[in-house]
Formats: sequence, structure tokens, C-alpha cells
Amino acid sequence: MFSKNTKLEKFKDAETIIGASIKVKGNFNGQGDIVIEGRLEGSLKTVANVFVGEKAKVSANIEASEALISGEINGNIKVKKYLAISETAKINGDVQCGEISIERGASITGQIIVSSEDSKKTDNKKERIDTEA
Amino acid sequence: MNAYIYDDFLNKNRYRRSLNRVEIRLTDLGLNGKIIRLGTIKNIKEVIQAEIKNGIKNIIAVGNNETVNKVISAMITNKNYGFFQKDVLFSVIPIGGNNSIANSFGIKKEEDACNILLARRVKQIDIAYAGNNIFLNKAELTSSDAIIEINSDYHIELKGKTSVKIININDDRKLLFKNKISPNDDSLNLIVNGRNPDNTFITSNLIKMSGSGKILLDESILVPLPSEIGIIPQKINIIVGKNRSFN
Repeated sequence: MFSKNTKLEKFKDAETIIGASIKVKGNFNGQGDIVIEGRLEGSLKTVANVFVGEKAKVSANIEASEALISGEINGNIKVKKYLAISETAKINGDVQCGEISIERGASITGQIIVSSEDSKKTDNKKERIDTEA
Repeated sequence: MNAYIYDDFLNKNRYRRSLNRVEIRLTDLGLNGKIIRLGTIKNIKEVIQAEIKNGIKNIIAVGNNETVNKVISAMITNKNYGFFQKDVLFSVIPIGGNNSIANSFGIKKEEDACNILLARRVKQIDIAYAGNNIFLNKAELTSSDAIIEINSDYHIELKGKTSVKIININDDRKLLFKNKISPNDDSLNLIVNGRNPDNTFITSNLIKMSGSGKILLDESILVPLPSEIGIIPQKINIIVGKNRSFN
């Protein structure tokens, strides 16, 4: 789970990093962590985590397990577990997540649904697997 | 049985001493074998394929990156690798400049190469292709208008003149992402500005490049755009040194 101190360290080993000088268009599907520092248009989906940097501009619907948003998003965000929205974030779209933290100064224009069901389901499944093992 | 493939440029007098040293060392180690000089051959593929069919077990390119490219291109056929070729080991004895492939194998000098051949430390690596050419280390492009399509899902656009590298085996030991690059994971790594804070890292096994410019393969072969870049399904067995740039 993200915390203030481990924002970027968490992503040192990200599977995909989109730099600030890069523009990506299309449907981006990943299996690992994704860091966006540049521009993205289309859709962004991963079974792992997404980090959207302060200067990033994303015009896409985002689906991920966890996400940390510091940049501008025009699109809906669907996060299964924890969503962290930092003070520099600007979100134009609906947000759905298991847990949320929003820093003072962040801007969100849209509906926010925080439902811990998805998050609990995932945790329960994990526990069951651990017990079976 | 060993086959040593000497590149044409080794006919020059300045390489005579290095070659003599190599030949003496190989004889001392009992590693001597057939010498094939590329300068005298018109169809490299035919000759190397014939040697493989005749039971050659180790093919060693003697020269530089370009030699490696010529020899591996001749070892594989039609982006596929025949069953009889799979047991053949490949290695390189670097002579002269432009030897980043040998360096990434952990082979820095010609004398080291002989000892490394004797030790027979074998690793399996992917072979990448760009159009009709193959490469082992990297494909490089500097362009301001190239469009790079990844896995047919999305494409990236560059802002201004930018250097793009597609890496199979990393030979840059200062690269930020060096620990994330594996030459045997069936995929390539696309890196933009790999040493700057603003960098991009994408993993893919099919990359299409279009726009203007040429791609430089293994610092030796130029391929014009548009070009498709990917991984050949089969891998090649190579003899490497302890100080190679990958695990």
C-alpha cells in the first residue's frame, strides 16, 4: 500500500515507465506496476499499481489494483484497493475504489464511490490461498 | 569440433599479431579447429549450414559486432532455428574495435576469449530481429518524428529529437534499468533517454517503427524505417565469461 514516504521508491522496479517527454496513444494493458510522467490518451489497465506523476496528463479511464495520483486525469478511475490522491492532483471523472485518501488541495470533479467490498474480497481470497498453502 | 569464422578485415597486417596470439593460445589449450575466412566465401549461410550438418559443435566468430551478426544470421534460417542447429554453441573472439557484443558476453580481450572457450560456461539468449536482419544487443534510433507502435495496442510519439534504444542484451553498465533487462525473457526493452531523469521503459515483444531515419543494429548494420522489431521464437546457446552483463 502507498504511503507518503514510499511514493516513488515503490515504483523503482515498475514494469513500465512513461517519461515526461513521451506521449502515448491507445489501449495500454499491463501486468505490472506502471508509472506515467508524460501524456497518455486512450485507456490504462493493469492488474498491479499505477502512479500518475505531478506533471502527467492522462485522458483515459484507469483500472488498477492500487493507484497514486498526483497529476491531471480526464477520465474515470477504478481502483480495487487503495487510491491515494495527492495535493497536486486534478481529476475530471468518476472515482471508484476500496479505500481512499485525499490530500488537501486536490481537485476532483465527479462522483466518488468508496466501497470496501472489492478490497475485502481480494483480502479474503488471499487469506484462503494462504491457509490452503 | 570447432569452427572459427574469421572476418575479412582480419586480413590486414595490423591484426596479424593478435591472430597469431589467439591461434597459439587455442593450440595450447587444445581448442584448435577449422578456420573459415569470410573474405574467400561468397555464400556464408551455405558454408556455415554445411558445417553444422557435418557435425560442428562450436562456432566462434573472430572479429567484431558485424562478424557476430554475419555468423549468427548464417547459423539461423528464415527466423527459425532447425533442430540440428540447437546443439551448436556460439561464441566470439573479439579483435579490433566495435566489440560491444563480446563485452556483454564478458569477453573483453582475445586472450580471455580462449580461456572462456575452454571453461564452456553456456547461457541461452534470445535473438532479436529488425526487418530481415537480426541483432543481439540493441537497435538504436535517433529521430524527431518516429512513431513507435507497441504490441499493436498503443503507440508512442516522440517530442523533438530523441534517442530510442531497443535492448535485448544490455551492454551499458551505467544504464538505470540494467537490472530489469534480461536477454532470455522472450521480450525486448524499449528505452528512451536511459541515463536522464526523464526516461521511459517499456517491455514488449513486438515493436513497429515508422517515420524517417534508420535503425542501427548492434552498432554495425543500418536498417531503414519502417521496420518491425521482435524476438525469434528459438534461442541460441552461447559460451560466455564470468563478467557478462546479464545473469
